[in-house]
Amino acid sequence: MAIELGLKEEQEMLKTMARDFLANECPKTFVRQMMDDEVGHSPELWKKMADLGWQGLVFPEELGGSAMNFRDLCILSEEMGRAVLPGPFYSTVVLVGLPIQDFGTEEQKQEFLPKIASGEIACTLAALEESGDLWAEDISVKALQRGDEYVINGTKLFVTDARAADYMLVAARTKRTSNPEEGITLFMVNAKEWGIYIQNMNVMDLTRKQYEVRFTNVPVSSKNIIGGLNEGWAVLQQIALKASAVLSAEMVGAGEMVTEMTVDYMKERVQFGVVIGTFQALKHRAADMHVLMEYSRSLMEWAAECVKEDHPDTEMAVAMAKSYCGDAIKFVTDAGVQLHGGIGFTWDHDMHLYFKRGRYNDTTFGDSNYYKELIANRLEANLI
Amino acid sequence: MVTGEAEQTEAFRKEVRDWLIANLPEKWGTPEYVAPERFSQEAQDLGISWTKRLYEAGYTGFNVPKEYGGIERPGWQQAILLEELSRRGTPPGPQSLGQLMVIGTLMGWASEEQKKRFIPKILSGEESWCEGFSEPNAGSDLANVQTTAVRDGDEWVVNGQKCWTSMWKFADWSLLVTKTDPNAPRHRNLTYFIFDTTTPGFSRRPLQQMTGESEFGEMFFDDMRVPHENMIGEEGRGWYVAMTTLAAERSGGGGAAAAAMGLSGYGGLIVRTLGGVDSLIELAKKTKRYGKSLWDDVTFRQRIVQIAIENQASRYYGTRLGIAMRKGTASGNEASIAKNSQAEQRKRQGDMVMEIIGAYSQLMRGDPRAIDGGEQVYNMIRSRGATIEMGTSEINRNIIAERILGLPRA
Ligand SMILES: Cc1cc2nc3c(=O)[nH]c(=O)nc-3n(C[C@H](O)[C@H](O)[C@H](O)COP(=O)(O)OP(=O)(O)OC[C@H]3O[C@@H](n4cnc5c(N)ncnc54)[C@H](O)[C@@H]3O)c2cc1C
Repeated sequence: MAIELGLKEEQEMLKTMARDFLANECPKTFVRQMMDDEVGHSPELWKKMADLGWQGLVFPEELGGSAMNFRDLCILSEEMGRAVLPGPFYSTVVLVGLPIQDFGTEEQKQEFLPKIASGEIACTLAALEESGDLWAEDISVKALQRGDEYVINGTKLFVTDARAADYMLVAARTKRTSNPEEGITLFMVNAKEWGIYIQNMNVMDLTRKQYEVRFTNVPVSSKNIIGGLNEGWAVLQQIALKASAVLSAEMVGAGEMVTEMTVDYMKERVQFGVVIGTFQALKHRAADMHVLMEYSRSLMEWAAECVKEDHPDTEMAVAMAKSYCGDAIKFVTDAGVQLHGGIGFTWDHDMHLYFKRGRYNDTTFGDSNYYKELIANRLEANLI
Repeated sequence: MVTGEAEQTEAFRKEVRDWLIANLPEKWGTPEYVAPERFSQEAQDLGISWTKRLYEAGYTGFNVPKEYGGIERPGWQQAILLEELSRRGTPPGPQSLGQLMVIGTLMGWASEEQKKRFIPKILSGEESWCEGFSEPNAGSDLANVQTTAVRDGDEWVVNGQKCWTSMWKFADWSLLVTKTDPNAPRHRNLTYFIFDTTTPGFSRRPLQQMTGESEFGEMFFDDMRVPHENMIGEEGRGWYVAMTTLAAERSGGGGAAAAAMGLSGYGGLIVRTLGGVDSLIELAKKTKRYGKSLWDDVTFRQRIVQIAIENQASRYYGTRLGIAMRKGTASGNEASIAKNSQAEQRKRQGDMVMEIIGAYSQLMRGDPRAIDGGEQVYNMIRSRGATIEMGTSEINRNIIAERILGLPRA
């Protein structure tokens, strides 16, 4: 039982430090400024985060990192979810940094990880296409070999923070066989190349921008293949696994914040001559919110620990956490709006930021229903 | 993963599995096994001998200090043990209720002699207990108990009635909350006792439940004399002792006393439902309705999965709670969270089985076609009591809202 729930002293410190920092540097005024901004990325904040060692949190020290672990990254992500942090931290670190660390060659790690850690570059993953799902069959953007480079053509959708990115990890088809999971390759592509055309998608959650990215004859060196030619699907699955754990952590941070905001409001809002927190129907709703978040946290911490330990239960744990947190965040943010009444429905109130981010977190890399199917398969396989 | 630890846990798991094979009643878990009638003398005897076996093997009293008959073994062993017990299913221990709440209460409030006198016999199965709290007009509003105790020299004279008392029939001892000061304010007027059920002036009778059985009953006190030394805590402090009992039973045996001792609160309740999911899946797979297996129906499948997820969530919530108790950061009110979720899940799980077995969900024990000898239907009906006993779901939500979230009291 190497799974350790709860927080150790250093982890408590990390959490407090992150909470204080984000309270100062990422107040809702800043979040809203970023929502209005086309790129949604503040280089100043990016630099300050790098100075704290956040982008390189889990990278080894010799590559400019802080050599902390995946659980620590989730603790940080909880706080980011709580603050609805805009900008490319998640895209850069979770969607690109981690797979380079897990699958990259020594040279690739040397080349990219120190730059991520120092805040010199931001990155993102370009994987989804028309279907919007991470499904091998649906990947049809092509990369054709030309000498010792490849040329990419096609359109990616739902690419987070593409305008902020200096590099995109692009999933492209390099071979077509009867097995769609074979023949996918991941390329680290310089986002400033000619032939890359980025267009906003008009997304609900403006704190996490998403784009359509069109590739027209975009060249990339074969040295920039991450995880082996035609073997990108395994990398994508690993990205989805870790990202789902991180997204769960964000949901826990956000959901706890929404519960606190709602309970605080119930203690001050007066109707019928009493604070609305006196009404039992509302108390019970608040109690349900709290319980859902406690259970979400329990599964999320289990999942994060499993990833950290590379435990045999990892896939199951992450699937359960992502599915449960996805349902929970929808319940909690819905109740959050409802219990605030009219003001909760306004743009000026912050509740909708959490409501919308919650929807993003649930949908991304498979919603709660998707994960339930995955769990069903595993449970069935475990029977025998 | 730290391999040393994994090997240790697997070794312990194997030890428990081997022990279970050697010690469970003959034919246990096979269709030939005939379980004794619930709440019969035979069932009681089976429970006692089972409890004794567990005790002798060193599998009970994980949280309890050695001088009171406990074993002080690590919490992870308890977790594995409970998992294995729930996986195999075991005879119901009559002491489970005693272990859940009496030990917690005694650890928190009893004198040294009382702990030494009573706890080992609870663990070994020698003495069974019940809980005399509720009365016809004092259920959720426990502070309103009307049973009185009046001091007379070295004794207290008790008059009144308790109801819905689980395990009433075979209890050798009972917990008892009485009103001792009619003039003191609410919550300061109660005193807590334990009493021997062979005491003159005590009588009891069954109350039939919607299951058809009489798991609970009524207790009557007619000038029953309880020695002063059987008071638990101080005179007028009974409310606070009762709160310890409730927290202990809600958290499944750890409770406030475990928090006080800094030990694992990994409770029996939390684990008990874990074993169920595999059998739900098996049942759904082999059940064909309207031409296809229920497991092939996405809606069914996903609802079973949801139960599996919630069971895991409870499990890890329990682990977190145990850690918080050890660190001293838990208030004890968290038990309401675990209790409520468990009870609600038990209902949903029960309903799920009914949906799967369809028309057969109507057949009770005694009908030759009843599934699992009617056990599943019984469980579904019995689960309705789960959201009422140990504080109703509504009361526990009040506790969460008021004592954890700090919302104003009504
Ligand atoms: C299977 C079973 C076993 C039991 N075993 C024992 C035992 O061993 N020992 C023992 O002492 N008792 C036992 N009880 C009794 C149990 O503790 C009480 O039934 C329970 O506390 C509810 O009290 P009540 O029945 O008086 O219902 P009431 O308190 O009258 O409640 C009726 C309804 O009103 C709701 N309600 C009441 N007050 C509030 C409030 N403030 N806010 C919102 N809703 C409220 C309740 O939730 C419930 O839905 C057992 C009960 C059951 C079902």
